[in-house]
Amino acid sequence: MNLDFSNEEKEFRKSIRQWMKENVPDDIRRCTARGAMLDKNMQQRWERLLGSQGWLTSTWPEQFGGPGWSATQRYIFDQERASAGAPPTSPFGVAMVGPVLYTFGSEAQKERWLPGIQRGETLWCQGYSEPNAGSDLASLKTRATRNGDHYLVNGQKIWTTQAHWADMMFCLVRTDSTVKQQQGISFLLIDMKTPGLEVRPIYSIDGHHHLNEVYFTDVKVPVENLVGQEGMGWTIAKFLLTHERTTIAGVADIHYEINRLKSAIDALPTETDKQLAVRRLAGLEVDLMALEYTNFRTVAATDEGKPFGPESSGLKIKGTELQQRVSQAMVEIGGLMSLPWDNEEPIGEQIFNQASRRYNFLRACTIYGGSNEIQKNVLAKMLLGL
Amino acid sequence: MDFKLPENTTMIADTARRYLKDNYSFDTYIAQLNESNHLEANRWQAMNDLGWFGLPFAESVGGYGGSLLDVCAIVQELGAALCLDPFVDLIVSPGKLLECANTPTSLALLDRIIAGEARVACGLYDRHAGYHVLNPSLRLNGERLSGQKHVVSDGGVADAVLVSAMSGDELVIVALPFDACDVERYRLLDGSRAASLTLDDVLITDEMVLCRGDAAKQAVSAWFDYLCALDCARMYGACRELYQATLEYARTRKQFGTTIGSFQVIQHYLVDAFIDLQQLESMLLMVSVKGESECNSERIRATSAAKAYYASQAVGIAQQGIQIHGGVGVTEELNIGHYFRLVTHASLSHGDREHHMSRFIQAGEKQNEVV
Repeated sequence: MNLDFSNEEKEFRKSIRQWMKENVPDDIRRCTARGAMLDKNMQQRWERLLGSQGWLTSTWPEQFGGPGWSATQRYIFDQERASAGAPPTSPFGVAMVGPVLYTFGSEAQKERWLPGIQRGETLWCQGYSEPNAGSDLASLKTRATRNGDHYLVNGQKIWTTQAHWADMMFCLVRTDSTVKQQQGISFLLIDMKTPGLEVRPIYSIDGHHHLNEVYFTDVKVPVENLVGQEGMGWTIAKFLLTHERTTIAGVADIHYEINRLKSAIDALPTETDKQLAVRRLAGLEVDLMALEYTNFRTVAATDEGKPFGPESSGLKIKGTELQQRVSQAMVEIGGLMSLPWDNEEPIGEQIFNQASRRYNFLRACTIYGGSNEIQKNVLAKMLLGL
Repeated sequence: MDFKLPENTTMIADTARRYLKDNYSFDTYIAQLNESNHLEANRWQAMNDLGWFGLPFAESVGGYGGSLLDVCAIVQELGAALCLDPFVDLIVSPGKLLECANTPTSLALLDRIIAGEARVACGLYDRHAGYHVLNPSLRLNGERLSGQKHVVSDGGVADAVLVSAMSGDELVIVALPFDACDVERYRLLDGSRAASLTLDDVLITDEMVLCRGDAAKQAVSAWFDYLCALDCARMYGACRELYQATLEYARTRKQFGTTIGSFQVIQHYLVDAFIDLQQLESMLLMVSVKGESECNSERIRATSAAKAYYASQAVGIAQQGIQIHGGVGVTEELNIGHYFRLVTHASLSHGDREHHMSRFIQAGEKQNEVV
């Protein structure tokens, strides 16, 4: 038993901290400190900066261009990234399609797509959900019909985050409707500029545009953009569910949020208000500690070559719940200061000014990536044998 | 970081589990529940033979130098077995206070505890001071000690007690015989035995005072944290068993023509409990290490965080265990309700959730002070 980081890990932390101090752009740092959303330009500048260091794809094996960090180093990096006020990176390229490509892709596909992800140049989006295939993803209907050297894709995707920014989409499509639902699904890479593909915005309750509907009308996708074999789509989607969970709980960013909230307590009107806020924050800190030590255990196990399996879904469930509770605490502690929506000048402590938008935004985190209820169904089956 | 238990700890845990499996059944527990003397000679000797009496204490004071992690491993199994043998009340609790006090008199008494020759309890609580162990209501005026102690856990058999008192504004720890007090014995929520002591101008000689002032505060604070960690270990052991029993019940109990574990709402309850249990285990590992930290703030924050967390989540698992069992869960004949009482008890001994939340906050504000 040893709950301390090694000297090498402490040195690593120091060097990352120093780099963050010197390199996180001021406008991005200020934007995160306000609790505001980054625009495309900021997000991409940040990802390219990490890409230039070879750190954007820190979770990738060395042979595909990862920096060769241990899970503990990745965890430390994430802590330092968050506490420096830098945003998390977009998951679609780095954490999703990248690992799919180096695990299931052909040599040509790897050569063609991995470098763009590594450098933060190609932006990806995820074409999974459909209007009638949400939690019941396997019932998806978007169809890809083979036609010579290409597929013709027809149908509709929805809740597609950042589709309006993306260059490429990885997409689950139905290539065979005569077999069992799960077996008729394939994994296609689709260029967002292909004729017949239309992106329409959905505004979410934080007032921002993250989500989209994507319509496909006879969209031509070259056959070489099929990953794996036809019918392997479901296997690939399931592979992603248990892949790389070092930072899935969001512990580093929750720490950052709690610290932001702490720094604003002095702005509260009375001593009683302050005491109640301190108490509420302490409760959140205790819950975060339990999450963090569970996270440490998964990180240590990964470094020993015994990564947690489906039980790491617990991190996603607890992590998202805690993110929501912290954002709710921020709105409620801010009280009156949380009410202004589109004002330039905050009426009090600045962090409360964006708090209600963030609170609204985070209602989605227990839904996306497989709703927490679906995660529990999976755990009940796989882990508890129910 | 490394979360693997040292080989030695695993061995201690395995031995404890095996010993209790062979020697302490639910029936043993029910029988002991109705006894007023919880010191059963054969098992007491066996625990001594297993080396448990010396394990919690440093080699420099005559112990075997076991870590808090080792002692937590034993206490976890005692909790899992619902065992009422007063190992914590008569060995670990008084022994730790004496070890922390670290005076010649206290260490001489510790020697006798390790040898299994003394029946000493700790009397650090009274209803006036509640959980505020650094400010007890018992008063030492000159040589005379007066006041009350409550919930003095002693297995029903202690003949001596270590009590805390205020002498002016100084905390003192005094060793005295039970005979010197008016004693009322009773059973507690978890089935263990305890006493209330009333002291009326009891004569205290200098050699009965074990330590005083800052040294006494430091000793009581470290003792409090050690016992809190053991509370967590005990709750973890109980929750572990209760959860397994509940899962098994959900797999086999049939209603509406199918097992209740096939219903989504039951599945989600059980998954929630599984995840909570995983986090409780993380907190136990954390407090088993940091609960012995030399730095007061680190020790107190770790311990109070763990105890506060247990008081909500372990209690939640125990409540849900009863709910899933339905009617049979609230009967005396099934172990589930007994685990529930144990968990409730341990969540309220040595500080409840609110007390520990306050302490967690205070320790963060006051660098390295005892609170």
